[in-house]
Amino acid sequence: MKYAFTLLLITALCGCETVQPWERGSLSKEEMAWQSDVMESSLQNQMYTSKEASSGGNGAAGGGCGCN
Amino acid sequence: MARCKPEQNQTLMALTSSALLLPAYQNAIADAPPDFTQLGIRYSQYEEDDISSSKAVGGSSERYKVDITQFHLLAPVSDNWSVALDVQYEDMSGASPWFVGESFEGDPKVIMSSASIEDSRTDVSVTTRYYYDRGNAGLNYTRSEEDDYESDAIGFDAAFNSADGLTTYSGAISASSDDIEPTQGSVPTNTLKDEKDIRSAWMGVTRIVSKRGIVRFGLGYTYRDGFLTDPYKLNDKRPDERKEWTASTGYRHFFVGQNAALHTDYRYFDDDWGINSHTIDVAWHQNLGQHSQLIPFLRYYTQDEADFFSNRVDFSAPYYADDYRLSAFGALSAGLRYNYSYSNWQVNLAGERYRSNNDWGIYGGEESPGLVDFWRFSIGLDYAFR
Repeated sequence: MKYAFTLLLITALCGCETVQPWERGSLSKEEMAWQSDVMESSLQNQMYTSKEASSGGNGAAGGGCGCN
Repeated sequence: MARCKPEQNQTLMALTSSALLLPAYQNAIADAPPDFTQLGIRYSQYEEDDISSSKAVGGSSERYKVDITQFHLLAPVSDNWSVALDVQYEDMSGASPWFVGESFEGDPKVIMSSASIEDSRTDVSVTTRYYYDRGNAGLNYTRSEEDDYESDAIGFDAAFNSADGLTTYSGAISASSDDIEPTQGSVPTNTLKDEKDIRSAWMGVTRIVSKRGIVRFGLGYTYRDGFLTDPYKLNDKRPDERKEWTASTGYRHFFVGQNAALHTDYRYFDDDWGINSHTIDVAWHQNLGQHSQLIPFLRYYTQDEADFFSNRVDFSAPYYADDYRLSAFGALSAGLRYNYSYSNWQVNLAGERYRSNNDWGIYGGEESPGLVDFWRFSIGLDYAFR
């Protein structure tokens, strides 16, 4: 898994085209954001984390809670 | 792609405003403070399905219900600074699995906490962010308070863009100190007072790969140290440290013809308790005219069981848990979001259904009778002081 991830990372970073600043209009749209709704993302992360054994993947963990 | 002569290239670059120099780290965090103050409030209801009589001793039982109110404020402070305030209040009630026993036929069944648990949580988070020429850095403090749990956390994150704006390197660290003091009265607890610490680090690379596509990779590590046992579960006894790793990737693609964006995300999780998991998220952000947006989303999750998970208690083992959250299972979640914007206002609606099942996972393992299904509905209102 770790090797596959590294291979994917290298492939993606090397295989991309040069996109000039004036060609990035579509990329700047709000719906292209990694996290388009702060409150929605925060709530979903909390729900899943409190019902599953996994967490993280989008930043540092922060603090815990007694969520059951 | 066509190449410009140097002088043409310089002219084009000069004509290109800095606002068009979109960094690859295109996120909720931009590389300039917001132009105006943004305010949002959200109300959500979370409700778990009753546990069925075939899985619980004493017949079916209600589980958790949570009412959640969220508040978000993001304001520019100066040309290079912004401040964000996030407040979340939760009102919880219901019963949760206490332990797993056996029926007369020998099948594992859940014994729920008999009394309805009442609790509330208030979470306040303040973030100040500084924006520099090729990135930004933020400092965050979060305090979370419940009747039986308190947490203080501090975090720092930073992002740095390459000169061409195609690549962004980002990192984040956090540390928290948590105090646990279980409420006495409903069930016997595993401790009267204890504590734990959480240390975490994350690094990521984001890259523009085409005029319509952007990709991100991230690696994370979290170390938990202290009382990690669930204080309300009868026979629960877990190691006092846990090391977790994540590897994640995501891709965003904009479809001009459809006026829509595709979001795909994947996370691999691994820890030293024997748990590893895979998570896949897919969402379609469909613009409908000038004011509306419809977002169907789908999530698949599967995890392996912890080394010490079992439905049958073994008092001779150093560690034991019958918590369904440490069992092997798969979960499917599907939902729909709708946003309507008009002038400075935006209305948000969301609904989601989550279901879990031992058979839906890719890992073998004992089926826990305590697996959870839930509904969640949200309604919100945002305002921009333009």
